[in-house]
Amino acid sequence: MTLRPELLPLLFALTLASFACRAGGFWLMRFVAVTPRLRATLAAAPLSVMLGIVTPAALRGGLPEIVGLAATFLAMHLWRRDLVATFVGVGAVAVCRFVQ
Amino acid sequence: MRAVPIGVGVIVWGLTFGLMAREAGLSLLESSLMSTLVYSGTAQAATVGGLGAGVQAGAGILAGVATVLMLNARYLLYGASLRPWLGHATPAQAYATLYFLGDANWAMSTKAHADGENDAAFILGSGVSMFLPWVGGTVLGALAGNWIADPRMLGVDFLLVAFCAAMAMDLFKSRSDIAPAIAAVTVAALLDHFTPSGWTLVAAGVAGGLTAWLRYEEPA
Repeated sequence: MTLRPELLPLLFALTLASFACRAGGFWLMRFVAVTPRLRATLAAAPLSVMLGIVTPAALRGGLPEIVGLAATFLAMHLWRRDLVATFVGVGAVAVCRFVQ
Repeated sequence: MRAVPIGVGVIVWGLTFGLMAREAGLSLLESSLMSTLVYSGTAQAATVGGLGAGVQAGAGILAGVATVLMLNARYLLYGASLRPWLGHATPAQAYATLYFLGDANWAMSTKAHADGENDAAFILGSGVSMFLPWVGGTVLGALAGNWIADPRMLGVDFLLVAFCAAMAMDLFKSRSDIAPAIAAVTVAALLDHFTPSGWTLVAAGVAGGLTAWLRYEEPA
């Protein structure tokens, strides 16, 4: 159980940067009125960010990742349960990597 | 209760980071402190090497901060999207809730809100239920050392992608979602091809949001 004092400035800086991202967007919205149009804009953001996470993974992925995504989509299509679909996808990736 | 299976996944994530931190030379206290304070899997994974090596002041700190800002810029969008809901809480409650903001709990909260959940405590509750397994997993990973030979074989790194794919299907509700989705995928594919970075998903979010903004039609 050691804590090297020389790490503290970096740890503190990383903590601040991380919290600035978490709080910054919320804080900025104080100065912007939430109109129906802005609401529609923000409502589109979640789906878009998630596609922004999935797209690069799909493009860079090998066979296991592609199979994993397909399994996720199929499970979602069948059961409409996001968490079930998530673990079906992860399981498919694990099986593919094991077989490969 | 929906948080339980994902919480289990987060423990495995935390375990993975605990193992990485141990490899980088961090003590148990140092790695669990990092998970408690920075609380971001990708950002911690990217900066733990510098922390383990012992810091060169100045440049090392700046690079670390830039890395965290790039990887976590998506939280700006998350926080902004929570304003209409979380804005009803007191500032102290809101910022305390935001401290625990993470990908999974934000996605879960967004979904719950769309389904009619209006209690902002849901965001805090789901946030803490991700935070605790993250820190707990880190401790376990730092302790467990050699038990898990290769977390990749368990598909652990695919967890976030699969979760986001499932959530995206959930969030895709009407025809008005088509254009923003196409914009997001296009921008993400282009950016990832030419300048892959933590900004890709931020740009995708901005592209989708901007498309929705441009295509918004005032109700007659």
